[in-house]
Amino acid sequence: MENVIELQNVNKSFKGFQLKDFSMTVKKGFVTGFIGGNGVGKSTTIKLIMNLLQPDSGTISIFGLNYKQHEKKIKQRIGFVFDDNIFYEHLTLTEMKRIIKRAYSNWDDNLFRYYVEQFELPLNKKIKTFSKGMMMKASLTIALSHHAELIVMDEPTSGLDPVFRREFLDVLHRLMENEDKTIFFSTHVTTDLDSIADYIIFIDKGQHVFTKESTQIEEEYAIVKGEKELLDADTKKEFISIRKSNHGFEALTANKNRIEEVFGQMVLIEKPSIEDIMFYTKKGAEWHV
Amino acid sequence: MFNLIWKDLVLQKKGVMILLPALFGYIVFNPSYIWIGIVFSIVIIQDVFAKDEHSSINKLLNSLPYTRQEIVTSKYIGAIIFTLLVALTMIIGGMLIHKEIPTWKEIMLMVSLSMLAVSFIFPFSYKFKSQYILKAFLVLFVVYMIVITIFIHNLNDILREFVQTILTLEDPSVFLVMILSIMVLYIFSWLLSIRIYRNKVF
Repeated sequence: MENVIELQNVNKSFKGFQLKDFSMTVKKGFVTGFIGGNGVGKSTTIKLIMNLLQPDSGTISIFGLNYKQHEKKIKQRIGFVFDDNIFYEHLTLTEMKRIIKRAYSNWDDNLFRYYVEQFELPLNKKIKTFSKGMMMKASLTIALSHHAELIVMDEPTSGLDPVFRREFLDVLHRLMENEDKTIFFSTHVTTDLDSIADYIIFIDKGQHVFTKESTQIEEEYAIVKGEKELLDADTKKEFISIRKSNHGFEALTANKNRIEEVFGQMVLIEKPSIEDIMFYTKKGAEWHV
Repeated sequence: MFNLIWKDLVLQKKGVMILLPALFGYIVFNPSYIWIGIVFSIVIIQDVFAKDEHSSINKLLNSLPYTRQEIVTSKYIGAIIFTLLVALTMIIGGMLIHKEIPTWKEIMLMVSLSMLAVSFIFPFSYKFKSQYILKAFLVLFVVYMIVITIFIHNLNDILREFVQTILTLEDPSVFLVMILSIMVLYIFSWLLSIRIYRNKVF
């Protein structure tokens, strides 16, 4: 399967933050969700992918091309959405479009009009009067109007109300149904991912934790609940991390079948949310240190 | 890259439409083309620069299919275009109002000195922020005033005479040398700005 984004052993350090030996791939034709807490390196990674930052070491290739030689070629094929306003605030959406349109050889005015109508965006109002939701719709409209093959989004749903978030995910759904696009987006709202992501990449403290298929996560991971008496030095090893309370324990495992073998009917096995996985994995990392 | 220059012209349309008539008005009272031309050019060029300075706008421009080199180069070419626009306005203004156009030497000196100023302002603005330019100007002004009051009382006259001498020079080779050296400086400044901008983090 073809990789659209490939990061290999990327290192990037700033004051007080470091991306360490980071490798990941994003497959063509799928939606990949990029999850992690605040300040763990999601935005830095996205900036590296967009060539807004250059790595200290390691290689980055997009569509199999590197930025050194093919910067413009690569960017022609990417649509981007950031979580803050990156447009000139004193312009209207029409004026902004006129400026951006010239940068792309594949710009499609019909497509632009289609999304403007669908999102009910005002064309002649200044962008500074736009709400957060409208801003996001405007960014997405621009990102989708030049037939980009890869859509990169940094926290597109943060600060959006639930209704609009659903609407936004619907648009992505439809996009994936009709066209052969690749979508890569970061989020810390993990419920976004349940419905749409084919793959999930988890980053914590500047390090790649895992890349897994959503279905694979369902098969392997489980939340296990049971009596505290069941836990001893041996059984504890079966879990990524454990939370104990007066009533018993709750823990995350990455090997559901094994737990069924070991504990049988003595424990309750539930499907974990991505949030559970993030929470316990993070806790586990601290625990094992 | 020409799209970037076009973008600056579009963004600056309103500003230019206010400033150029103001320049017209100024010419009515005071036809000292050189200084006023420099002031207007630099105000416009700085305004263009400041509009793109937000890190969010840098994020946009750098995510679009442009290279960092193109982004910087467009500003340097744009600066010349805006200066020529000011020169053109002065020529038209002079023609309409005083029935005589500024001499080619005045225009040449105005354009050259503007480029000279830009050669220092741009790398400074890329390195720090353009808002510090104003502070730097104030400091320079204070230094200038101190020099005038304490050391060289007639510095103003010397400068004025110097400009007059240049304007009355008959030998075109002096102009040629001046223009060439400013061009070299401008190119050097451009390369320096590219170097600074290449390593910027947004």
